Amino acid sequence: MHAPRNETYLNATVGIRSWLLTTDHKRIALLYFAGITFFFFVGGMAATLIRLELITPQPDLGSPDFYNRLFTMHGIIMVWFFLIPSIPTTMGNFILPMMIGARDLAFPRLNLTSWYLYMAGGTITIIALLLGGVDTGWTFYEPYSTFYATGYIILAVFGIFVSGFSSILTGLNFIVTVHKLRAPGMTWYRLPVFVWSTYATSLILVLATPVLAMTLLMLLAERVLHVGIFSPQLGGDPLLFQHMFWFYSHPAVYIMILPSMGVISEVVPCFSSKPLFGYEFVVWCSIAIAAIGFLVWGHHMFVAGQSLYASLAFSFLSYLVAVPSAIKVFNWIATMHEGWIRFDAPMLYAFGFIGLFTIGGLTGLFLAALAVDVHVTDTYFVVAHFHYIMVGGAVMGYFAGLHYWWPKITGRLYPDYWARFAAILAFFGFNLTFFPQFILGYLGMPRRYQSYPPEFQIWHVLSSAGASILAVGYALPLFYLLWSILRGPRASANPWGATGLEWSTRSPPPPENFDVTPTVIRPPYEYDRGVPCMQAKNG
Amino acid sequence: MAERMLGIQYSTLAQERETVTLGMWAFLATEVLFFGALIAAYLNYRIWFGAEFIAAAKMTKVVLGTINTAVLLTSSACMAMAVSTRDGGGRRAPVLWLIATALLGLMFIVIKGYEYSLEYQEQLVPALNFDVARHGGVAEIFFMFYFCATGLHALHLLIGICLVSWLAFAIGTDRLRPGSTTRLIGLYWHFVDIVWIFLFPLIYLAGRNG
Amino acid sequence: MSGRLILRCWLALVVLLALTTASAFVPLGSANLFISLGIAFAKALIVLLFFMELKTSAALVRVFAAAGFFWLMIMIALTSADYTHRTDQPVPLDRTAG
Repeated sequence: MHAPRNETYLNATVGIRSWLLTTDHKRIALLYFAGITFFFFVGGMAATLIRLELITPQPDLGSPDFYNRLFTMHGIIMVWFFLIPSIPTTMGNFILPMMIGARDLAFPRLNLTSWYLYMAGGTITIIALLLGGVDTGWTFYEPYSTFYATGYIILAVFGIFVSGFSSILTGLNFIVTVHKLRAPGMTWYRLPVFVWSTYATSLILVLATPVLAMTLLMLLAERVLHVGIFSPQLGGDPLLFQHMFWFYSHPAVYIMILPSMGVISEVVPCFSSKPLFGYEFVVWCSIAIAAIGFLVWGHHMFVAGQSLYASLAFSFLSYLVAVPSAIKVFNWIATMHEGWIRFDAPMLYAFGFIGLFTIGGLTGLFLAALAVDVHVTDTYFVVAHFHYIMVGGAVMGYFAGLHYWWPKITGRLYPDYWARFAAILAFFGFNLTFFPQFILGYLGMPRRYQSYPPEFQIWHVLSSAGASILAVGYALPLFYLLWSILRGPRASANPWGATGLEWSTRSPPPPENFDVTPTVIRPPYEYDRGVPCMQAKNG
Repeated sequence: MAERMLGIQYSTLAQERETVTLGMWAFLATEVLFFGALIAAYLNYRIWFGAEFIAAAKMTKVVLGTINTAVLLTSSACMAMAVSTRDGGGRRAPVLWLIATALLGLMFIVIKGYEYSLEYQEQLVPALNFDVARHGGVAEIFFMFYFCATGLHALHLLIGICLVSWLAFAIGTDRLRPGSTTRLIGLYWHFVDIVWIFLFPLIYLAGRNG
Repeated sequence: MSGRLILRCWLALVVLLALTTASAFVPLGSANLFISLGIAFAKALIVLLFFMELKTSAALVRVFAAAGFFWLMIMIALTSADYTHRTDQPVPLDRTAG
């Protein structure tokens, strides 16, 4: 059934009910996008206040208790309400069905339910934070969080618990979709890497999040009933909580990075005008990262009191998990080698990703070494490490994908120069913010401290200065992307000359994605034939 | 009965059937990890605390637990009969088997409730009246696991009873079109049974000798 | 799934139940746990293969079914790597705290 020439998923039906009750994966993606953007800036506000506070060694912006609530809020919001959903629920929802040639996800109504669960969980948590927040850190370690902490822990934890089901259902939807709804000719080895990455991410969503659900439930039981399952009062072991918590939370960081890696695997071949180097390796490394990522969680507990035997096992396994990530980095670089590079905004973000993720990954190896970790754990070294991966990596990947698929999603082009400027600004701002933190941590500055000895101040000042630049780099897209929706030039179906199925339909796409279900006849990334060869027969 | 409308994402009925079946199994996998996390915590405490933890299990009601296990296993057999007779195109037989399933499920809940009342009388309920001085802190932790695990299981069972009852009504009043619904609800019911199959020995059979 | 097969499965399940309860009262030390879990696995397999029709399902369905259990085994194995190697002793109950 052909949609009229000017009918897109945006204008096919009108009215607020057609958006809030939609089952169209593209509209749901935009609903998520609104929530994601909101939470990003809420978490960013908390980060701004933290960096303002840390400019001077003394407390400036309130009590230590207030500071504790600030970094807790930053962690909870950024981890659960921005990073984990970010790429899967926006670009995954929008682009994945199109990439495989499907008209929607396997379970569209479940998809909408996922969004409502996400918004409900987010609302509950925001209310908890507005009422006064939580001061336990985003990790809710027991028995502090259950017996001694004041604050709205029950509410905040319940909000996270609810949003966890959003994750589970989204992952379930993606997995089943990739297995069953691929277009004719779309074999597994013809799938773009973004699909493989999202699939690997979904495996983690489905297998790890339920453990978080149970952990949070037991935390709530302990806090509400005052019976210490994990607390020393009855002889319980606080470390058991940590085992259960990190069994989820370590794979969770791979939920955050794998989709970004998938984006990079799309952007780099397109803007190098070369096929992805070592496709099978990249694909299986995504799966390997997801699988091995489940085996390393104890590296968060090296100094917590777990047995030395377990620590040795986890240390060894943590070294192992770096290998597939490194292979991917080599493959991206090999893709660029002797390619014809275009320096559009998506590619600039991809460059940033590769460099910053590498630094973050290497420092992860430092932390995996038991002897080093004893020295730098719970210092700013760890903070710098994970921000290099999550911000330098995951967020850069998010912006890369945003800039890459924006013309497809909105049908508009954004101003070139502003986009590249924002990318470069963010890169410099990021490094100025977080590199000094490696030094701080190595010199002994503990994390989660409001006040500190004066000899650390110079590094904190540099870091806060960088944060102000980074903030501008993140704020700029708000303006020029919004501008592009209102006044930007209209985009063609394939403004970048890319090869995926999503580029074979118009921008913005019609409600059912394709006028005719495509038939796939080629592998992805065939950029080396002079003219980009689209995967679809009629593309 | 009217022709069933296929969602736009499907091209054939067979594809839809296979897809929803996979979806249900994926959901059950998440439930395995959900209950499994609790069981993993239990097992680790059993290793770490040793004899004291196992001794606490002796205070559970093994006769009632065994009866309840038999009840649930029988309910699964009834559910399997419901799926089998529904496959054959029947209406009356599946409804009767579904009602039997739901009734057995209710019987489980009643017996469980009775068990809980006994535990309340014996001061074994954490946060309410657990006698720590007499039984010890480790026993209280054991009973927290007991109530959490059996409570969550009972909640899942109640949801199953509602689903099965709705299904019996829908088939009986001819509101349900032929499809995978009975089979899918059957998968859920059998899974709740499997959870209990594992909970039973862990909770009731520990420390029964010596 | 014929009625006869279901009946036979049910009988097997009930027999296994009697076996597991009875064996719990026989003092076999740490073997008791493994026996009861082994019987539980057997019961679960009967339910999975016959009642849930995994025996006649597509390979992909069986992979999905196995995945959850497999991942659970990972969790149990690696956490018990900690608890089986602890050298400390549990702290005696101190009801004066908290």
